Amino acid sequence: MISPFSKAVFLVGAALLMPTASFAASCCGGGSGGSLVLPKFRDLSVGATIAYEKYDGFWDKDGLWHQDPEGSDLSQTRLSLGVAKRINDNWQISLSTPFVWNRNQYANNTFNTSGIGDSTIGILYEAFDDITCTWVLDTWEDYKPAMYFGATLTVPTGISPYDDVKNNFDITGRGFYRLDIKTSFEKTVYPWNATVALNYGKYFERSINREYGVYVAPYKKNLGDRFSGSASLGYTYFISSGDTLTITGAYAYMTEDKATIDGLVDETSGISKKSFSGTAAWANEDKSLVYKLSYAYTPHYHNWGANFPTTSSLSLGVNYVYD
Amino acid sequence: MFTIKVLLLTALLTLSACGNTLDDLNPSSDDLRPTVIANSIGSQPGQKAADFSAPATNGTTFKLSDYLVGGTFSSDAVVFYFTMWCPICISHTDHLLFNIIPQFQGRGTTTYVLVDYVSGFIASTTVSEAVNGYAGSIFTTIADENQTILSQLNGAMGKTIVIDNNGIVQMNEDFRTGDNLIHTLNRILP
Repeated sequence: MISPFSKAVFLVGAALLMPTASFAASCCGGGSGGSLVLPKFRDLSVGATIAYEKYDGFWDKDGLWHQDPEGSDLSQTRLSLGVAKRINDNWQISLSTPFVWNRNQYANNTFNTSGIGDSTIGILYEAFDDITCTWVLDTWEDYKPAMYFGATLTVPTGISPYDDVKNNFDITGRGFYRLDIKTSFEKTVYPWNATVALNYGKYFERSINREYGVYVAPYKKNLGDRFSGSASLGYTYFISSGDTLTITGAYAYMTEDKATIDGLVDETSGISKKSFSGTAAWANEDKSLVYKLSYAYTPHYHNWGANFPTTSSLSLGVNYVYD
Repeated sequence: MFTIKVLLLTALLTLSACGNTLDDLNPSSDDLRPTVIANSIGSQPGQKAADFSAPATNGTTFKLSDYLVGGTFSSDAVVFYFTMWCPICISHTDHLLFNIIPQFQGRGTTTYVLVDYVSGFIASTTVSEAVNGYAGSIFTTIADENQTILSQLNGAMGKTIVIDNNGIVQMNEDFRTGDNLIHTLNRILP
């Protein structure tokens, strides 16, 4: 998880707006999903993901791609820790917190900062009672996907522009609470699996009386509603030892409406981004241990994003599932 | 359950150690601006900005006092925008260029200055100005090579500062929607 906005506000912004850290595991175990999901019938899962995100230009408000300042080298590294716990047969809760390192090198200046990022608390309902993964499609029951419905609350535990900071290079969070409603449909017919996920988030308006460490006349601000969706397709290789290797390709789209300040629309805000990703997840025989390597990429073409940095990221995650 | 409790406790302790972040968990709407002494040297509205100079991409040296009363290029107002050539910076700058500046054409003289506080070299600033389409525009672009202006004016990404012809700071805040900049210029321009 996490990355508005260094470029700090935007470097951070990038991570903040992307899906939660790529933890391993899915309803069947073994992993292909993008967030921390406890497999059916399992009790507890803990995960850690380290991600390195490299910034390479950005799209302006009109979707035109621009290069970063000459001589710059901008990146962010995030270590995300998460836990998911089953509370009954069909409900699970999760908690995730990242630690963020910003590294912003310009032609003759370097800014290295770090701090805890924004955290998430999630609850997820599994609208299915049995594992829906199957080898064959014989009956109508075999076609039933694993359907999830849930909500995630983003808690502004990071360092935002509205905290007691010196300037934008210290930023590791956006400073707003956000409630996301999400649903996903996942189907595995071995060796194939496919997932569609949709997410709608609403920020909570807040008061601001300080900007970058300097008190200002108080005002109210809210960020725009956010929608994201993704679709993925994966293939599982069964290794002789019983271990599995699942390769997944995904496409994701994210957009966020314009912000409002004291009720006025901020015409300079609003963002969007499209991206591709590839993931290799290795799981042991009982799916209790999963390693996951992901690479996400966005082409530097015009109109693949708006008002947002162009990034590529590499992440490595490990997840352990308890019965 | 024990694991969960340990994790929650760890998270709480971590957050407690980062007291800086707690302001976001419970935002304040109190006006905590300190009282400033009018015309004292500083960066807050009502204070007088200390003089400074920096290299500009047009090959000259920008000196604040040159744009105040009695200076060579005396202006009714000087508007500074702190840029790091990021997406939101470009969005703000375009909004300034295409939506705000035209509203004040013919009303006195205003100098608009882009302050590049990240590059550290005027040569890099010149390239960034050009590739983002601002070379030859109404903006005077300067390189805050040692971040002295950033420090002196309490700058940051998107900070917008208006100084009148007496050197008095009339506005110092994030660009936000640009409406406060319009109000400020409406107030001080003839």
